Amino acid sequence: MLRKALLISPEICIGCRGCQIACKEWNNLPADETKNEGTLENPSDLTPNLYNKVRFIEVPSETTPLRWLFVSQRCMHCDDAGCITICPAPGALFKTKEGAVAYDKDKCIGCKLCASACPFNIPRFDKNDKISKCHLCSDRISEGLSPACAKTCPTGAIRYGQRDEIISNSQKEGYEKLYGQADLGGLGVLYAFKDAPKIYGMDEQPAVPETVLLWHNVLKPLSYLGLGGAVAASLLHYIAFKPKKDEEDK
Amino acid sequence: MSNNMIRKASAFEILNHWVLALSFFVLMISGFGFLFHLEGLNSVFGSFNQMKAVHNYIGIVFTVSLLLTVFYYLPVSLKFSGDDITWFLKGGGYFSKKTETPPQDKLNAGQKLYYIFILIAGIAIAATGFIMWLRPPLADIRKWILISHFLHNISFDFMVIAMPFHVYLATLANPGTLRIMVYGTVPIEWAKKRHGKWVKRAE
Repeated sequence: MLRKALLISPEICIGCRGCQIACKEWNNLPADETKNEGTLENPSDLTPNLYNKVRFIEVPSETTPLRWLFVSQRCMHCDDAGCITICPAPGALFKTKEGAVAYDKDKCIGCKLCASACPFNIPRFDKNDKISKCHLCSDRISEGLSPACAKTCPTGAIRYGQRDEIISNSQKEGYEKLYGQADLGGLGVLYAFKDAPKIYGMDEQPAVPETVLLWHNVLKPLSYLGLGGAVAASLLHYIAFKPKKDEEDK
Repeated sequence: MSNNMIRKASAFEILNHWVLALSFFVLMISGFGFLFHLEGLNSVFGSFNQMKAVHNYIGIVFTVSLLLTVFYYLPVSLKFSGDDITWFLKGGGYFSKKTETPPQDKLNAGQKLYYIFILIAGIAIAATGFIMWLRPPLADIRKWILISHFLHNISFDFMVIAMPFHVYLATLANPGTLRIMVYGTVPIEWAKKRHGKWVKRAE
């Protein structure tokens, strides 16, 4: 199956937060207690019960002192997902055939390593220490439905579809390159930014932490190669030199 | 103890050695399970959730056991002399039958260095393990976990490479050594050849 993706267009977003509510409805997530932080952005961060949220960003523009940006945020469903790379529990984090990074709470062992390996700091943990995050409504998309956030979005700021179609259509609309088009093997959430990503509060070049890659590519193989090598070297030494015996034994 | 035997390891040292060894193997096997998703280990541990619990709690046993070794291995291991350097220069006599090595202390130079390295790697693997398990409330906890995870795995590599040499040197390579960790005693003649300085002091 061709990879699916979300296309987020902050300029069309009106900050209604319908996506946050629709997500909670579909995924049966309770409301979090929250407090006024002096902004309409609410809650202020993702929680185990909040898989997506709209960030309200105030930046000055060239023509006006204030430009208000609404940027929908969730798991980016990376192709090279750091969380899957570091996860020690088989089947706890996995890719669906649509390319979503989904999870199985029963198999999650609650080590929370994924939170450190995620380039976007997305995974949260419920009261049982099990991973809790957006799974691109994998139960909906496997049946051919849109994720709840995209389904409910009244302006089309969140659109869902075939990833390659989204990219080719946006190129026709004049977006040379979408955010996330090539990062981390290609993200499953693409952003149509009209400015530098950092204006929208995003990393210019998101990447899986280097220590995770070094561990995965070098330290991991070294463990069994080293163990096997040490055993082999010992046996070779035994064959070549024979054990140290006392003179009396000769 | 008969007259021609000398005690090299106390009962506590022997017991603690096997506690350390057993906990090490449980941690190593479950560690490999986490690294390579060895689902076959479920037949031993039940599930990855339980394997994690075993890994964490056996980690406490390993840490305590390792720290207890400090009392009887560290003082002698820190005493490095010219004889130890000569011992290393001669490869411990392991690469030629004819090599004469200088008289050694209760631990030979190789054992001393091995112990120091295991102690450092062991403390590193324990400390980073506890950081990943208990997640202290630090501001930059995600970074701390990454560093811990990395050091935990470097120490793991070091240990799984070192362990086979330790087992080999204590069994096949040096017949008569294993009994130290079973009975605690060795023949005096055997000890004089390998730990001359120590026997001289003990007599």
